[in-house]
Amino acid sequence: MTTLVHDDLSPATEAPLPAAAHTVDAYKIYGKGQTEVRALDGVTVEFEQGRFTAIMGPSGSGKSTLLHCIAGLDTLTSGKAYIGDRDLSTLDDRHLTILRRDEVGFVFQSFNLIPTLTAIENIKLPLLLAGHKGDVEWIDKVIDTVRLRDRLAHRPNELSGGQQQRVAVARALASRPQIIFADEPTGNLDSKSGAEILHFMQDAVADLHQTIVMVTHDPVAASYADRIVFLADGKVVDEMLQPTAERVLERMKRFGE
Amino acid sequence: MFRTTMKGMVAHKMRLAMTALAVSLGVAFLAGTLVLNATMNQTFDKLMSSVYAGTDSVVREKAAFEGLQNTGEQRGRVDASLLDTVRGVDGVAKAEGLTVGFARIVDKQGQAMGNPSNGAPTLGFGWIDTKELNPFVLAEGRSPQADDEIVLDKKSAADAGFVVGDTATILVQGPPQQMKIVGIARFGDADSPAGATCVVFTQGAAQRLVGEVGKYDEITMVAADGVSQQTLTDRVAKVIPPGTEALTGAKITAESQDQMRQAMSFFTTFMLVFATVALLVGAFMIFNTFSITVAQRTRESALLRALGASKRQVLVSVVIEALLVGLAASVVGLVAGVFVAAGLKAMIQALGFDVPGGGVVFTMNTALISLVAGMGITVIAAFSPARKASKVPPVAAMQSVFTGSTGYGSKQRILVGCTILASGIGALFLGLFGDTGNTLPIVGLGALLVFFGVSVLGRTVSLPLSRMLGWPLPKLRGVTGELARENAMRNPKRTAASASALMIGVGLVAFITILASSTTASINATVDRAFTGDIAIDPGTGMNGGVDPGLARQVNGLPEISAATGLRIGTAEIDKSVEMIAAVDPATAFDLFDPKVLAGSKDDLGVDAIAVYKDVANEKHLTIGSTLPVLYAQSGLKQMRVAMIYGENRPAGNYVLGMAAYEANFANRYDMQVFAKKADGVSTDAAMTAVKNVAKQYPGVTVLDQQGYKDAQAKPINQMLALVYALLALAIVIALLGIGNTLALSIFERTRELGLLRAVGMTRAQLRSTIRWESVIIAMQGTLLGLLIGLFFGWSLVRALSDEGIDQFSAPVTSLAIVVVLAWLAGVVAAILPGRRAAKLDVLKAVVTE
Repeated sequence: MTTLVHDDLSPATEAPLPAAAHTVDAYKIYGKGQTEVRALDGVTVEFEQGRFTAIMGPSGSGKSTLLHCIAGLDTLTSGKAYIGDRDLSTLDDRHLTILRRDEVGFVFQSFNLIPTLTAIENIKLPLLLAGHKGDVEWIDKVIDTVRLRDRLAHRPNELSGGQQQRVAVARALASRPQIIFADEPTGNLDSKSGAEILHFMQDAVADLHQTIVMVTHDPVAASYADRIVFLADGKVVDEMLQPTAERVLERMKRFGE
Repeated sequence: MFRTTMKGMVAHKMRLAMTALAVSLGVAFLAGTLVLNATMNQTFDKLMSSVYAGTDSVVREKAAFEGLQNTGEQRGRVDASLLDTVRGVDGVAKAEGLTVGFARIVDKQGQAMGNPSNGAPTLGFGWIDTKELNPFVLAEGRSPQADDEIVLDKKSAADAGFVVGDTATILVQGPPQQMKIVGIARFGDADSPAGATCVVFTQGAAQRLVGEVGKYDEITMVAADGVSQQTLTDRVAKVIPPGTEALTGAKITAESQDQMRQAMSFFTTFMLVFATVALLVGAFMIFNTFSITVAQRTRESALLRALGASKRQVLVSVVIEALLVGLAASVVGLVAGVFVAAGLKAMIQALGFDVPGGGVVFTMNTALISLVAGMGITVIAAFSPARKASKVPPVAAMQSVFTGSTGYGSKQRILVGCTILASGIGALFLGLFGDTGNTLPIVGLGALLVFFGVSVLGRTVSLPLSRMLGWPLPKLRGVTGELARENAMRNPKRTAASASALMIGVGLVAFITILASSTTASINATVDRAFTGDIAIDPGTGMNGGVDPGLARQVNGLPEISAATGLRIGTAEIDKSVEMIAAVDPATAFDLFDPKVLAGSKDDLGVDAIAVYKDVANEKHLTIGSTLPVLYAQSGLKQMRVAMIYGENRPAGNYVLGMAAYEANFANRYDMQVFAKKADGVSTDAAMTAVKNVAKQYPGVTVLDQQGYKDAQAKPINQMLALVYALLALAIVIALLGIGNTLALSIFERTRELGLLRAVGMTRAQLRSTIRWESVIIAMQGTLLGLLIGLFFGWSLVRALSDEGIDQFSAPVTSLAIVVVLAWLAGVVAAILPGRRAAKLDVLKAVVTE
């Protein structure tokens, strides 16, 4: 890893490598007047390339909204979100879709796979949708990394929950995207399978030089990340580098106060 | 429980509306047919009773036999002298003779009016001076006094633009006549009886031109004051000769009303078949919608069960939902039916029948039948899904995943399907090939069972069919194609039910197409095989009239023509069975037709002789010289001598007379068709020109060469085909609604999956494409099964009709390919709305876990 670790809270300052994604003054507001809810209240945050970043915060803090908006699944009320140097607000649905397909990988908490497709088809889905073969060697490497070689012809309902999530991780990696977003990827898994998935994600960043942003409320899961961004009430309130589960738990407890 | 049902219904307005629409369309068609039928019955009942309003008694010949194809009883005419006998009976105030027969008006452009071959008849009458007994009421001018004077019905006069004082050409027995129009009359209170064209001559001219000299069709009477219809009729009955009968005015009114209804009943039956088809197709849609919604509500049903609802209550709640949907849809359909009736009326008028004015008749019966049919079909179709809902165990409320039905269906189901299919085929064959009385209901039931059996088995064949039909998709369309195929395969039961609805429409279209094509091919083959002449002359009257035999004589005399004959067809009863008998000029006919004479000689076809087809001869053990008793309507029972046995019964049929024998036993003097062969060394064009020159004197006739003759024979078939297609289009539209509805419901079920696809990079266009191809696979599945059934039906019917002259099986590849392409497009169209809806799905909704 060559990424420089920096300690201050303002990621807008100079970084040695361009950010894989970042937001500037992002607002997401639901409703109006009395019923107005500010899910994102001026978030400026950057996710560096080659890093595994976790977003944490109590429920309702806006962490999922941030993920959706920066991944091009949802739109901001105001402010900007960028993947690489591309301003998402300038893209129409088609280009946003193509961006998600080619530049972004996704791992969701549940319902990650298309039940009618086999594991390998699910892994290659973004490539198949794009209509190109992708990097065969790379895909092979990914499949070996997540240890799915012998399950490729199986359909999702023939796989365990952990295996299904490994397929999802492999799919996210398959097109070698700029950035991978994971939304509570271990939320539906037992702790052993969850740990396995998190290890794979770590490996993907460390060995395969991928960039991952993960939303989680689980301190243990977050401790696998290189960096944690804490959100509360739609604002970035803190950041932690080289986290451990204990430190994260400690920090989270303070939200309850 | 009822409240739960209601709330559930309100929550799913859209899907219920779609289902209801399918039922509504079927009910509208049914109600429309019933309304029209009631309207026509009432109108014609009124018309008939006004026509016979002043008639107290009628004398006529007894019926010899029942005519073919609803043409009514066949009887001869009474002797005119009987009129004087009847006038002498005590209590008869007035008596008149009625004459009616074929007469056709030629309009100012020289075109013969009306379409007697398959539309309303073209009739000629004798004027009756007694007002009470005359169905015609003068609207303008006066009654005919001289033999060259006529009165026209008001509708024909208006259509042709004739006014009193004009001269019109009238086609009758013998050469066309120039007549002076002296009056215009209404028929009862209608401008014309059911669109028939009417010419009224003096009695003398009528007998000579449309009837028989010295004969009346019937004698009608008015009773003296104080004499009842019955008394009068009884008295008259005592003086009339054997072979004749006397009826009261009431009875003849009822009889003619009945006859009118019978004539119309063909149309009603025809339309009811389509209404049934539409309802049946709707039933599949109801079944599917309820199956899907019941599956989607599994947790809800389970929760109800867990909270203490009994199985019965869950069942009843679904049945009530069906009942309410059925009721709402039927009411809408009933109202729409009134408009459908108006449309159907317009269609009948376009066919050349006139339905006299007056409002539509909306009877209690119509309402009842429509409501019961609509609600019944809905409840029956929803019953199996309802039962499924009631079987949901309470524990399902706690389980999260519900998997749809997969696989091939149970062995039991396959067995049931096969049994139904087998009994359907059995009934079909029994009806078609068996020796039973009224075969139509059996054939209909058989066809219904075949459709039903195939749709039960549909689920079993659906999986391999989808796999096969979708096979090229992954190669052609990549992963969108693969997803489409997989989606079509993931719930075979649902796919099969959607496909079944389309299958019925396509099956019938294919069947009708094959039947029409086979009929045309058979006609062409017959012409090629048996008609060795070059020219045919068609008077365009079908069996109801014809052209003066003078035409055939004149054509025969042309130097460009080597031989010409008129062809006449009549009916007679032979061995208790009513048969068609053809008549030709034996001197010339066999130069034009080759009947493959096996025994005897054409030269012996004299006044008491008959020629029979070899199979008939074998069956009845007839040889040359045997006698065959034949009952003619006009001349009574005659012993005919078999003079010739022939081996080719197309197109003449099983019995042939010489003209001498025909004229001895049939009153009319028309040629139904005239055929001619050109002389050696004369070009067809030259012969045609010569014949056309002669034919000019006979308006309404068409001179055709061989190809033209074939085309003219096929024309009514093609017209019928267009009508049937138009009606079947309804069934196909309903099936499309069904596919669209199924897709929409499936998309609703797959919200999350679709969202995931969109999230990982499927474009809206790709998503729509996936749904479109899924729809096409379903449509193609229905089409394929439908084509197979249609081919099977067509083949069976053609086999069964081989004795009736349809001996060529022809499956027109182009037409059937068009059906496939249209069904394909239909699948694409059905996917438009669901596809658009799916593309609009909120991606976030799918990926956010509740």
